[in-house]
Amino acid sequence: MTDAPAPIALAAKSRGPWPLSLVVGGALTVVVVLTALIAFVWTPYDVEAVDIAAKLAAPSSTHPFGTDHFGRDVLSMIMVGAQNSLAVALVAVGIGAGIGVPLGLTAAARGGWVDELVMRGNDLIFAFPALLLAVMITAVMGPGAINAIIAIGLFNIPVFTRVARGAAMGLWTREYILAARTAGKSKALISVQHILPNLMSLLVVQAAIQFAVGIVAEAGLSYVGLGAQPPMPSWGRMLAEAQTMIGFAPWLAVMPGLAIFITVLGLSLTGDGLRDLFDPRVRRER
Amino acid sequence: MGVGRDALDRLQRTLLATVLLLVLTLVALAGPNSAEAAPSRDRLVLGLPLEPPNLDPTSGAAAAVDEVVYGNVFEGLTRLTQNGAVAPALAESWEAAPDGLSWTFHLRRGVAFSDGSPFDASVAKFSLDRIAAEGSTNAQKALFAPIQNAEVVDAATIRIRLSRPMATLPYVLAWGDAVMVSPRSAATNAVNPIGTGPFTLQGWQRGSQLTLVRRASYWGAAPRLNTVVFRFISDPTAAFAAVSAGDVDAFPNYPAPENVAQFQRDPRFRVVVGASEGKVILGVNNTTAPFNDVRVRRALSYAVDRDALIQGAMFGFGQPIGSHYSRQAPGYVDLTGVYPHDPAKARQLLAEAGYPNGIDVILRLPPRPYARRSGEVLASQLAQAGIRVKIENLEWAQWLDQVFKRRQFDLTIVEHVEPMDYDIYGRKDYYFGYDSPAFDALLAQVQAAPDEPTRLRLLGDLQRRISDDAVNAFLFQSSRIGVWKADLNGLWINGPIAANDITGAYWTGAGATGAAATERTGAGLPWGWISLVAGAALLAFVGLRFGAAWLLKKLGGHALTLLAATVVIFLLLQVVPGDPASYMMGLNASPDSIAALRQQMGLEGSGVERYFAWLGDLLTGRFGTSYTYQVPVGGLIAERLAVSAPLALMATVLSLAVALPIGVMAASRRGTAIDTGLIGVTQVGVALPNFWIAMLLILLFSVNLGWFSAGGFPGWSQGFWPAFKALILPAVALAAPQAAILARVLRTALLDTMNEDYVRTARAKGLSVNQALWRHALRNAWIPVLTILGLQFPFLLAGGIIIENVFSLPGLGRLVFQAITQRDLIVVQGVVVVLVFAVVLVSFLIDLAYLFADPRLRGRRA
Repeated sequence: MTDAPAPIALAAKSRGPWPLSLVVGGALTVVVVLTALIAFVWTPYDVEAVDIAAKLAAPSSTHPFGTDHFGRDVLSMIMVGAQNSLAVALVAVGIGAGIGVPLGLTAAARGGWVDELVMRGNDLIFAFPALLLAVMITAVMGPGAINAIIAIGLFNIPVFTRVARGAAMGLWTREYILAARTAGKSKALISVQHILPNLMSLLVVQAAIQFAVGIVAEAGLSYVGLGAQPPMPSWGRMLAEAQTMIGFAPWLAVMPGLAIFITVLGLSLTGDGLRDLFDPRVRRER
Repeated sequence: MGVGRDALDRLQRTLLATVLLLVLTLVALAGPNSAEAAPSRDRLVLGLPLEPPNLDPTSGAAAAVDEVVYGNVFEGLTRLTQNGAVAPALAESWEAAPDGLSWTFHLRRGVAFSDGSPFDASVAKFSLDRIAAEGSTNAQKALFAPIQNAEVVDAATIRIRLSRPMATLPYVLAWGDAVMVSPRSAATNAVNPIGTGPFTLQGWQRGSQLTLVRRASYWGAAPRLNTVVFRFISDPTAAFAAVSAGDVDAFPNYPAPENVAQFQRDPRFRVVVGASEGKVILGVNNTTAPFNDVRVRRALSYAVDRDALIQGAMFGFGQPIGSHYSRQAPGYVDLTGVYPHDPAKARQLLAEAGYPNGIDVILRLPPRPYARRSGEVLASQLAQAGIRVKIENLEWAQWLDQVFKRRQFDLTIVEHVEPMDYDIYGRKDYYFGYDSPAFDALLAQVQAAPDEPTRLRLLGDLQRRISDDAVNAFLFQSSRIGVWKADLNGLWINGPIAANDITGAYWTGAGATGAAATERTGAGLPWGWISLVAGAALLAFVGLRFGAAWLLKKLGGHALTLLAATVVIFLLLQVVPGDPASYMMGLNASPDSIAALRQQMGLEGSGVERYFAWLGDLLTGRFGTSYTYQVPVGGLIAERLAVSAPLALMATVLSLAVALPIGVMAASRRGTAIDTGLIGVTQVGVALPNFWIAMLLILLFSVNLGWFSAGGFPGWSQGFWPAFKALILPAVALAAPQAAILARVLRTALLDTMNEDYVRTARAKGLSVNQALWRHALRNAWIPVLTILGLQFPFLLAGGIIIENVFSLPGLGRLVFQAITQRDLIVVQGVVVVLVFAVVLVSFLIDLAYLFADPRLRGRRA
């Protein structure tokens, strides 16, 4: 063979031991989180201050991202909006993992009708288009960040259940697990002490992905008016309000959209990077 | 054994062929027929922000009904001109008796309804009696209460007897709630409106548009236009896009004041700003603390800066008012100076009333933009006077239930659109709870006024009383902003009542053209039967090939999921607050009418009974009848499926078509710059919200380049290509994130399979990377891709909901969204069941596809 065969499996090129996606993603995520944290103590302007005289100003030195139709500073609104998006998505991931992982572990441990029940429940939730159920839930309970968290969290549960169950079922066949069973350890204890730690890397990667999904979901719910309510700024709602003015005030649509984009990009790159980091095949090649 | 197997094979192949043939037939039949009809000068396309729930203005009406039918389809004894003056309609003249207790109306002769039935005094009596009848659902029953009875004098004369003098009788009879209806057709006017007006209903695509066509048998002068299409566009962006792209000829009540300036600068358009009867007020709960104290209410009025509010919330479109009265109404008194903007005075009044540190109150807002925007501006203004406001945004049904019906609020903002509706301040049960004997006395005097000057003077006193007591804080009167094509004339500029009287509209100038034809005619294919046959053939094929046991197990599992889903849907919707009847009837409807409508809609009865009745109907294919549209839900769903299903299909195909090359290229060149670049592209694709992409697409391809229409859907009967074209931009917006996800999954799956031993063997045998990829790896990589496709399908449907709204596509997503806000539970239940069924069906098809894709699963012959 005269042509050198292309290597079949190679790690993504990176300078050091860290995958490139993790570095870039991590940096973006850190920037967004820092912005949200800073907004707790300081924003350039008060986000609730309506100043009609300064409305619809293009980006300038006094207002780096311009102002909206009420004269509010867009940069400040994006900073505070970061708090809203991150908080909603984070708690929703917490709910999803907090309920989904134990369910998945139990299903894998017990098998039989318990497993069937859990999988049926999963299918049930998966059968509903996500936004639809969220709309119905918020119609029943009223719009707002808390209810958005519940709606999005509900949809994270089957994802974590599936991941946990799938991986756990693979682990249950391992010899050291069988040994522990023979020694008399209860299934629950085994799940917690042996199975769960081995799943952590998988769960962390999934959590990063669901975090990113949650940001988009929250933006979608806010866009149709069901997320955080005024005066709390939210990126999705800013986009909805900017629509009709996009012809003469494009910064109002560009900035929140960019914010969503950067946050989601950062989080999903981080997830990918973590996956590359933890994947034994990739590690082996390095 | 050989013969048996051959026969089985042949049977399987035949069944498969049947399925494929049926599918191809469907596609071919849906193919192109007529070309787009040419634009014409006797056609008008009008944009309306709200779709009427039905077409009967006398029965449970919302203002949106009048916007379509008033003056066009239905007429009353009298009518209003666009300046609010009373003019003859079906009555040529009238006079009152000296004691004011009876009026005689002289009716026109030779008038017939559009179904041929005659109009005469007995029909007029029928219409008038119907308003006040026991069990009438007329929203304005209370307004017509003084009418004791109507007496037929002769075929062309009717005498109306009153319980007290009512100088406004001719005015009130001009309202849409008092139009003349025929005894033959009154019961079905909601879906098949039969009136005496010059237009009749030609067609109605729920959620999209409605068409009126001129009739030859009209008694009066024929309108110059032959056809009018009302297109329902509630989304301000879609409205802007539709007007800019010329998809609508006029938007008489344009919902986006912020970009009106662009139209004013454009010579193709004319912006017409007229007066409306909409009085936007800050509604106050007078019955509880702190607002039961008049000083606190006055503080509220002092804290409001009307001019800044109009600038901020309405972009300068609106005029301040000082009482519950519109500026062009007769007897208007300017009371805007009674409470000038003075936060210091407000604080002082609050302190006097015992609130030196200010107050904390809740502001509950309905969904319209004027309310939401005004709320935000006011919150900031009131804060400066020490009135700290917490905003709660409600849906209409929630607002009607909590604020309007149960008075659970401190403050609210709402627009009252009925003209001369000061009498609501005499209704103690009204939402703001004003109770003043002094006002009631004044009201009685106004009703009994002997002559016009006295009446006008008393009306002035009425306004002053309302202002003095600061019952509510009176903000502004909305402007009616109309954006018309420059060569259109004759539409109403003002809006004295909710109406779009097109009888006087016409085109001028050479080359004046209406928007292109978008009607939908003709019946569709028997989709149901075709799908059933195709489905049965497919199942038979699968059962034969893979074994009945497997098939039954899978079907059983899916059926169980569906059943559980119906229980969840039903339970969830029972908990939903809000009453469909109130929502449909509007603000001023009386409790009697609402109760009657609830009875009519069958909202009474236990939950369990209703669930099993509904389930039984579902199993026999009956989805019930929609509360708001009064048509079978199955028909509604079928109409919408014709949009949503192709959209989902196009988005899926598009995403696969884009993902395939990207995934393969990335996998085959792993580790190179191309791979990293493509991965980067997919990362970007996933991170972009699809509604943002949609907004940008409309802006670029529709408004700026004009390549595609800005929204709406012409229907498949107009030809395959126009309908397909309307779905392209939405499909692209939907497909972009999906394509990115699929590309990544495909790449990972391919890389995984490339690691398998059999691929190493293939490579060792001398295949190149690409050959190994295409011949071996791809076949096995399908499985995870299929999994993701199946998992993504519900998200595709969900994403479709938002996309359908942005592009105003009449699909399932928009239907269910509107139905939820309208509390039309039957429609919501039906649509969600259909969507869940679609997801389950796709899962089942994916399971089938696994069997084909994975040879290891195939050895299960019976």
